[in-house]
Amino acid sequence: MIGSQVVKALRFGVRAVWPDEAPTTLPGAAYPDWDAIYADNVGRIYRLMFAKVGNRPDAEDLTSQVFLAAYGPLRATAGVGQVRAYLTATARTVLAEHWRRTLGHQVTEIDLETTDLEDYAGPAAADETVNGPAQQRAARILRALPERQRQILVLRFLRGYSIRQAAAELGVSIANAKVLQHRALRAAAGLDKDGKEGEAS
Amino acid sequence: MRHPVDSYVNRLLRRRRPKPFAPTQDELAVMRTAIDLMAATPEAHGPRPAFVEQLRAQISEQERNEQGPGSARPAWRAPARRRFLAAGALTAAGAAAGVGADRMVVIASGDDQNGRPGQPGPGPGQPQPPAELTPTAGVWRDVAASTDLAEGDVHPFDLGSVNGFLRRASGRVQAVSGVCTHQGCRLDLAAARDKLSCPCHGATFTVAGANLTHPRQSSGPLPALPRLPVREQAGRIQVYAPPPSPSHQD
Repeated sequence: MIGSQVVKALRFGVRAVWPDEAPTTLPGAAYPDWDAIYADNVGRIYRLMFAKVGNRPDAEDLTSQVFLAAYGPLRATAGVGQVRAYLTATARTVLAEHWRRTLGHQVTEIDLETTDLEDYAGPAAADETVNGPAQQRAARILRALPERQRQILVLRFLRGYSIRQAAAELGVSIANAKVLQHRALRAAAGLDKDGKEGEAS
Repeated sequence: MRHPVDSYVNRLLRRRRPKPFAPTQDELAVMRTAIDLMAATPEAHGPRPAFVEQLRAQISEQERNEQGPGSARPAWRAPARRRFLAAGALTAAGAAAGVGADRMVVIASGDDQNGRPGQPGPGPGQPQPPAELTPTAGVWRDVAASTDLAEGDVHPFDLGSVNGFLRRASGRVQAVSGVCTHQGCRLDLAAARDKLSCPCHGATFTVAGANLTHPRQSSGPLPALPRLPVREQAGRIQVYAPPPSPSHQD
């Protein structure tokens, strides 16, 4: 279980980066109880974490860590804005610790100045099914690519095709599809700027 | 050709937890791109209901296990003390103190030039702010010109009933109370303009209001300085504060 050990490590190990502003009790605009805090924010934190790690198992683990660490300080009722700020700051710490532990590099991070949990209200709540910030970001990445590279990434990432299915769809061998995907991702990441089409020959 | 970063990406594509490896800078860039693309997939839309329920149960269990006394907790988690001090800060710093500045800016966007913030007027795309946050007694009072406060600047102000410090971070103006949350002395801005210090017992705060150091005689960290509602309008920075009294016209 992730539970208390992680929380303890978080409380004592990385105290220095804890949010420095404790939640205070505000008049009005407060969550009535912990359940309300949890229900309103668990989806937001999950979406935020998914955007930072790109997979469900890690996103769920990190979401658990955020709430297990934050439920104590947030147990008393508090203003919505402050609860969200506290959760975001906690998420920042949890994510940084995740990358430190697994890869030794801060692959992605949560910027407290620009991250607003309001943006992670979710497709159902915000009615942005097709055009959320993540979709726009992905579209921007894909737009910049040559046609073949865009196709392989759309098939693999957005349509969930296997490499075999994608190869068939594009009319290339599986080996070539792998090379194409590799080059497409490098190009999308801003590497390989020499303008090669990236078509495996 | 087999790159470790391909394995990482393929684990993501198979909806699995990726395995750690030692990435180069280039590989980190590829990983970030792959993560960005994954964030546009339906998986990212929300947590599984089963997960949400399981975590809820896990938290309840942890709460039951932590009921015993003596668990080491940050001092600011002691609820009684926090409530007491928060209430004190409210009366000390004026009727409007303690209301989140962000929300006040949202409310203020629908005001007429010199009126009190009556009708909440959310900006485009902003959620409707809760009505309880609208202060009932006070006016928007000029404290500085927008041009006086460059990015990163800190600027003291004094309206008599309320005094504090303005700062601009990421383009937005914030205002915190200038009264120490220990025993109510007025805070000074340090020469380096990076923190606020109390002349009475030496407590210090960040310019954002968080407590840095506290006097030995206080039992733990002090509460953060209350934020004051602040807005920028027509080139002026204004703080929402009680109206000027006859003895203190500005």
